[in-house]
Amino acid sequence: MKFQIPIGPQHPALKEPISLRMTVEGEIIREADIRLGYNHRGLEKLAEQRTWIQNIYLTERICGICSHSHTTCYVQGVEKLMELEPPKRGLYIRTLVAELERIHSHLLWLGVAGHEAGFDSFFMYTWRDREIVMDILEIISGNRVHYGINTIGGVRRDLDDGQVKHILDSLEILRKRSEYYKNLGTTEPSFVARLAGVGYLSKEDAIALCAVGPTLRASGVPMDVRKDDPYAVYGEIPFEVCTADTCDVLGRTVVRIQELFQCYNIIEYLLKNLPAGPVAVRAPRRAKPNEVVSRYEAPRGENIHYIKSNGTDKPERLKVRAPTLGNYAATIKMLKNGFIADVPLIFAAIDPCICCAERAVSLVDVRTGQEKIISMNALKQLSLKISAGKVRKREAEWPL
Amino acid sequence: MKIGVFIPELLRHLFKKPATVDYPFKKLEVPRDFRGSPYLRPELCIVCRACERDCPAEAIEITAVNEAEKRFRMIIHNDRCIHCAQCVDSCPTEAMLMDDKFEISDYDRHNLKMNWEFVRAVVKPKSEPKTS
Repeated sequence: MKFQIPIGPQHPALKEPISLRMTVEGEIIREADIRLGYNHRGLEKLAEQRTWIQNIYLTERICGICSHSHTTCYVQGVEKLMELEPPKRGLYIRTLVAELERIHSHLLWLGVAGHEAGFDSFFMYTWRDREIVMDILEIISGNRVHYGINTIGGVRRDLDDGQVKHILDSLEILRKRSEYYKNLGTTEPSFVARLAGVGYLSKEDAIALCAVGPTLRASGVPMDVRKDDPYAVYGEIPFEVCTADTCDVLGRTVVRIQELFQCYNIIEYLLKNLPAGPVAVRAPRRAKPNEVVSRYEAPRGENIHYIKSNGTDKPERLKVRAPTLGNYAATIKMLKNGFIADVPLIFAAIDPCICCAERAVSLVDVRTGQEKIISMNALKQLSLKISAGKVRKREAEWPL
Repeated sequence: MKIGVFIPELLRHLFKKPATVDYPFKKLEVPRDFRGSPYLRPELCIVCRACERDCPAEAIEITAVNEAEKRFRMIIHNDRCIHCAQCVDSCPTEAMLMDDKFEISDYDRHNLKMNWEFVRAVVKPKSEPKTS
């Protein structure tokens, strides 16, 4: 007996509400179909009518969590078009903010994963620690979410010694807290048991379906734009690409926790080797006719901007490929042969904002055509009920 | 299976002070670089229109009141403003600045409009070298 379950389009799918149709046999998903395009904002067309400067703030608002990722990707491309060389100090500050953003995004994701797995105290702890990073970002840039630190040819705000000291002090607290998350698996076996084996994506599939970011690295593929195609100052910073070979949600959690430690190391290196000098160079208003592809490793994966200029002060074309889009195909693969109750967890594992809205999922009975609406809460209850009392993968071990 | 390993962490958090503040009674200080609402110092404005041109939200409007007397009016539509402070960066004479107020909501968006009527200043832009 097969049933079809539509999820969405108004579903907790972050910046892009999507529609999922899943054919289920009992509790097991056999087919999944994805439909996009419900949140089309016409942003790329709008970018063609704005100047290079105005577009910085437009691209910043593509996403709230990776606001710095999109501006950096855009600004890097425009700098290439204008043949500008930003000063070293500007690039260091830009990288610093990028890494702070990665910490805040990963901490946010960890909390969401804990919440989805029914571990709400973990969710509260990580979000409390995330406030430390948000405070740092606020001190550096002035605001918590849209930092507005990038400009064409460098950054807009400089760092002083007090700020550097504050960041280093806060980093100590964060490091201590992250140690605790690292040991979490050994103290909370139920959390590990809930995540292990869910949303399996093999190494071959991850490469074939063009997965990006932690989803790809959790399948054992050490691919990271920061290492493969270093931009800004990543070429001179020592850091490692974190991978896991469990290929499931547990692996994605482990990769993100390990990346947190890499972020702390990178930030410490950046602050200790911060060169003196100006933070920005003056940018021209026009760019020569040319085209450029800019790549950036956002917390969620590889972000690509394609920019074409035609000699005026406005771009002729701006194409944005956000990392989530790269992960959709892999998500379908992950959902197949999984449980309905795992849908929130698998979705949360590719992208953190999935659970911020509580939406309805309707179960359609194929025989009668009747639709049964269940809320995200009920789905979560179902998820908890299914995993309650039994450890699905007894031999699962915390790899850290 | 280890049971109760989480308890020390829970107990530790019982004695931590809350992460939040009693907002309406106690307010956090905004950072030095906080981007509030933009305002104009009309005595410095040379009407170069750089802010109007660069504003991503098209929230700044400069109109001439009397060309002969060089009187101009600037309207800042704070209901459209996205608080990016690009106008402050673009201004060559530091006539535009950001305040540090964050409680700026209003029942009517028209109340958020701010306007100044002023005579164009004859201040030399900072970026230009002094001739005298």
